[in-house]
This record gives sequence, structure tokens and C-alpha cells, in this order.
Amino acid sequence: MTAAARAGAEEDVQRRVPDVPSLMAALDRNNYLADVGLATALFLAVRLPQPILLEGEAGVGKTEAAKALAELLDTPLYRLQCYEGIDAGEALYEWNHQRQLLGIRLAEVRDASVTETDLFAPEYLLRRPLLQAIEHPGPRPAVLLLDEIDRADAEFEAFTFELLAEAAVTIPELGTIRATHPPIVILTSNRTRDLHDALTRRCLYHWIDYPGPERIAEIVRRRVPASSGPLALQAAAVITRLRTLDLAKPPGISEAIDWVSALAVLGIDRIDATTAEQTLGSIVKNRDDLELVGARGADWLVAGTGG
Amino acid sequence: MSALTAGTPQDMRAAPPTVEAAALSAAFVTALRRTGLACSPDRAVRLAEALRLIPPGDAEKLYWASRVVLVSAREQLPVFDAVFSAVFRGGFDPSGPPARAVAPAAAPAGAPEETRTRPSPAEGRAPGYAPAPPRPAPAIASAGQDAGQDGNAPEREAVLAMASPEERLHEASFAQLTEEEVVEIRRLASRLLLATPTRLSRRARKSAHSSARLDVRATVRAARRSGTDTTRLLYARRRPQRRKLVMLCDVSGSMEPYARIFVSLLQGAVAGAGAEAFVFSTRLTRLTRQLALRDPDEALARAATAAPDWAGGTRIADSIRHFVDEHGRRGLARGAVVVIFSDGWAQEDPEQVAAQMARLRRLAYRIIWVNPRKAAPQYQPLVGGMAAALPYCDEFVSGHSYTALAEVAAAIRGDGQASLKGRGNSCR
Repeated sequence: MTAAARAGAEEDVQRRVPDVPSLMAALDRNNYLADVGLATALFLAVRLPQPILLEGEAGVGKTEAAKALAELLDTPLYRLQCYEGIDAGEALYEWNHQRQLLGIRLAEVRDASVTETDLFAPEYLLRRPLLQAIEHPGPRPAVLLLDEIDRADAEFEAFTFELLAEAAVTIPELGTIRATHPPIVILTSNRTRDLHDALTRRCLYHWIDYPGPERIAEIVRRRVPASSGPLALQAAAVITRLRTLDLAKPPGISEAIDWVSALAVLGIDRIDATTAEQTLGSIVKNRDDLELVGARGADWLVAGTGG
Repeated sequence: MSALTAGTPQDMRAAPPTVEAAALSAAFVTALRRTGLACSPDRAVRLAEALRLIPPGDAEKLYWASRVVLVSAREQLPVFDAVFSAVFRGGFDPSGPPARAVAPAAAPAGAPEETRTRPSPAEGRAPGYAPAPPRPAPAIASAGQDAGQDGNAPEREAVLAMASPEERLHEASFAQLTEEEVVEIRRLASRLLLATPTRLSRRARKSAHSSARLDVRATVRAARRSGTDTTRLLYARRRPQRRKLVMLCDVSGSMEPYARIFVSLLQGAVAGAGAEAFVFSTRLTRLTRQLALRDPDEALARAATAAPDWAGGTRIADSIRHFVDEHGRRGLARGAVVVIFSDGWAQEDPEQVAAQMARLRRLAYRIIWVNPRKAAPQYQPLVGGMAAALPYCDEFVSGHSYTALAEVAAAIRGDGQASLKGRGNSCR
């Protein structure tokens, strides 16, 4: 049950990710800034057999972490966005019945004979992310991202874990497909429901804290090349200040990136009260919040940012 | 293996963990278990493996490696940090990461703010209201009278028929019960059948009606059995699913005689209807996990430890705000039936209550307010939080006695005769 299919990292992966500092540096080169906590978490996710569960506020970069990890391992990322009612047909595989019907019809037209083996051949199989990740031929394991696992039903959660523990899928018509390189599994959750104990027991866990203004500025600079020095830092300061208000939807890092992109498009290179007011819609996205910020005034918002 | 340069950690299969790492891991896990953190022994094995990959040269490395392996929820972080600094004293200050807004889960219970809600003179007490401990009263309830007024009595009897030893007990206001009767009523309450209205889910199931969507895949699968000709068309339609049920119970001082029974109702709802349960007085506590236990007494005991401000003052607006921010917006309240058990006596500005109720209203499918004081004949929800909240409620019921709980069940089902149908349509 807890015997995971991945018995640790392969040599090639070990060479790429020898220790935590080198993983941090590699993530950095891939324009993903991870602190030592997150880097440790990702390092252990790669090197230990267990999947890792990442939690944190919306927009702290949970999904991005998986993308960056896949990029630095130079391996594909298979992402399964979970939602209520998701089932095996959408997550694992399904037969392409429409295409099978077409195949039969074509065979009739050509007067060819068609057998069941012809119709249940791999080309008629629709591969969904879980199967893709298990089938991945290597040379390194793929990264499988199960995004927002809390949205899926508890049964689906159990099914997925069973499958990942086996690292094999049995398709009655084709036989068993066994993973040669069991995927590195990253789960994210928004805590809309309590995850099952069985899941948390099998996973490593990391809570991603909201970063400080300097780090936000650095992330923004990496993501928006057009943002010159002071703009990113100013934006980060405003966002950090906004987060001290009791907002229903506090702006996250993605809002900071969107905002600076918007400012760059508008050709603004300094944030002052007027420009902040004009573009407030990119960072405050709730009417109650807009009123709250409006009551404080744009001057308060940009105070101390040098605007 | 030979390709590894000297000094890099080796493959974890190469050798068993060193004795130090194993002993350290075991000691640390034991220390954590003593604080009540769920930390199974296999975690110690995992930690030993992790420490082989990340040799704990300094306390920071040790902190992050053990945190990633041993913690499985954000709520455990304060406890973990405390144990870490206790075990490795002075080595590393884990308060380095930004402060978290979560109160320590292991904080000693008790010493809640003693700001008891006082009933305002404008609001009449329910006739059965007696401060705890409840007096052993011969409770022929006058309070149960209005429970039979709206016209769905046969249905109510159907609900109650499954468990009805004594009529008298059913009509009595919860505030008038003896201790033994409370136990009995709690048993009954936790067995009440609660079912929410349905909505269409994303999942489909077979349907005989040709008005449903043609299920090509199922049709082809069926055809396979009889060769390759399609013999019969199969249809599927989206399956109806029960809406989520969320219950928020006020456990402040003024609700005391009722809260212990409502919490039993919550417990039954969590176990039977998959409901999410919260209690609040000065702050909000999620109790779903604690109440999910089979043994009701054990569940209630855990619930009481989890919510240390039991029987304190009331902050309704603050609690609803907390609920919406932390849980509701993320999906818990969306399209859900939300039931609030409270007498509406709060220390806050009614405008705040109204503002937070408006936010909840935008998320929820239905809001049901259960106020045991409504049973009083002269009760009018005129003042304070109750008056402010009422326009946002779809139903307003009393639930003060076992019979009256049937109204709550009917309101949750949504098929009873609603006494306060629609929003913005209060009884003022």
C-alpha cells in the first residue's frame, strides 16, 4: 500500500539533482525562484518515492513549481486538472469509439475484413494524462501534476493513488502497461475539503508561504522582461501593502505579474497615485475590495514606494 | 552508481539509513506523537531516508527536510515548529518563515474571552429558556405550539415515526430537558435524516429516455457484444446529485441549552449526509473531522477540545466572514445549502452582519437560519444581528424542540411550505 512504485531516483536524475542547493540553482536558471523550504520539498519529491502535496494561497506558484521542475529535468509535464465528477475515462484512458466506427465503415467500403484486434489497437486509444505519465518512455520520469485534487471526489482520489502505487494500468483489450519510469507526482490542493488521511499519509507535504516584496519583485522581473528596475519593486510594495488590508481576494503573485505587464503595455514606467488608480482593476478584482481600497485612497497605496 | 561524484548522496537503496539518522528520526517522531500530531511510525522511516539524501549539516536543512516529511497539513505547522525548537533547542529558529495566522492547534483550552452575550431587553426570552445546568422540569412544553402551524404535518410525522418513544419529549423545548432527556434527544437528533435538494452533476448515467443525450461510447460498447452492428441506441443523462450541506452552529453562552443538541444534529449530518460542520462563538472552528467519528461521545469530546471558546461571547459577522474567506469562496459554500444555528445576539454592528450575510448569499444556494428563540410567541426579530441577517435567509425556523427539528429537515429538503420564501422578503 505504501510501497510506492518508484524506488527512488534513477542515476540520470540523481546527476541532475544531486542536492538541494543545485536544485535551487537549476530552478533559478529556469526562472523559478524557490526558497530553501520549497527546494527541499521538491528535492525530496524527486528523490524519494512519495508524491508531494503542495498547498498555499492561490497564486503563490504551486502549478508553476511543477512546470519548472519538469523543465529542469527536461521531461514532459502531464497535468490533470481535477474537477467534480472526473472519472477514469477523463483521467486515464478511453477508447475512441467514433474513430472505431469510422474504421469499420472504411473497411466495409474497401471490402477489407476488420477484426476486433484491429479495432482495439493502440491507435484507437485516447490517452489521458495519467496513462500518458505512466507510458512515458523516458529517459527520465515524467512529472505528473494532479492539480486541485480536492475538487475531485474522494473515490477518484483513492483510485488515482491505487494506480500510482501500482504504476501500471491494465487495459482489458491491450494488456497491462507497466511504467518503465514511474512519474514524479505533484499534487496541489486549495483545501475546499479535507483530503483523506490515506492520501496525506502517503504524501510529502509543503505549505508555500506568501513571499516578501523583494522576492515578488524578483519574480516579476523574471516574468516580465519589459519591467525596468523600480517598476517591479514598486508594484511588489503596493501589492504587499494591499495585502495588509482585509481584502476578500488579496492579490497574489500572478496579479503582480499581470499588473506590471499591463503597466508595461501602457508604457508606464513609474507607479504614482494616478496610474495606480487607472490600473487598479488588474490587482483588485472584487467590488467590496475596490470600495475598501478606494476609501484608503490611491495616495495611501503608493506612499513609500517612491512614486 | 559509479557515475556519482564523491560526496553526493547515494541512492537510497544502496544502504540502510545510518544509525544516527534512524535514532534521531524515531526520537523526533515520538516527540511529535506525544503532542497529539498524527505521525505514524512509517514517517520515521521516511525521515531517515530523507536525512540520508539531505545530510543535516545545519539546523535549517534538518528543519525543512523533517517538515516536508512529517507535516501533512498547515494546521500542524505551529505544533511542529514548537516541537522542533524544543527538541533541537537553540539550533534554529523556525519562526524565520513569515508568521502564520493560524492559532496553535495545541493551545490549552480554556481562558476564552469572558464576553458573554446578554440578551437585550427588547427581545423576549423563549418560554423554555433556562440557563445551564438545565433544571429537571416536568416539561409539558408550551414552546412546541407553533411547531404545528405550517401545513406539512403528515410529512413531519413520517420523519419522526422512525424514532418516537414519548410524545412529551418531542414537544419539549430543549432548554427544559433533564440530563437524561438531553441524552435521549441527542441520540434522536443525530439520527435525523437530512437530505438537500439535488442539482445536475457532471456525471451521466444510462437513461431509457430518448430525450437524453445519445451515449455513443456505450452504444458502441454494447454493439461489440453482438458483433459490430449497432443494434440499439443507448442514452445517458446527467445524474442528479445532492447539494452540499454546510452547518454553522453558534455555541456561545446564550445558545448553551440548545447548542449541545444542535451539535448532535451536526454530528448526524456529517456522518449521514456528508455535511460540513462548523461551530462559532468568538471565532470559527471547523469540526467536520472531529464529528466524523462513529462514537458520538468521543466525537463531541474532540469537538469541545477543538473549539476552546465554547460558550463564550458571539461574533456572528466575524465568524461568517471567516467562513466565507477561508472556506466558502474556495468552493464549500458554492451552490450549497447553508444552515446557521444562532439566536442572532451578537456584540457587533448589525450592518456588519448584513454585509457578511450578503457575501454568503452570493455563494450559497439556500440559507436557513435556525433560531430557537423564534418559538416564543412574542418573539419578533426586530433588532440587532437577527434583523440584519433575516433579509438574506430563505427560511427562518425555530428548531427549539425535537418536533421543531422536523421543520429544519423540511427546510433543508426545500420541499416544505416555506415560511419565508425568497430573498429580501423578510417577516418584518
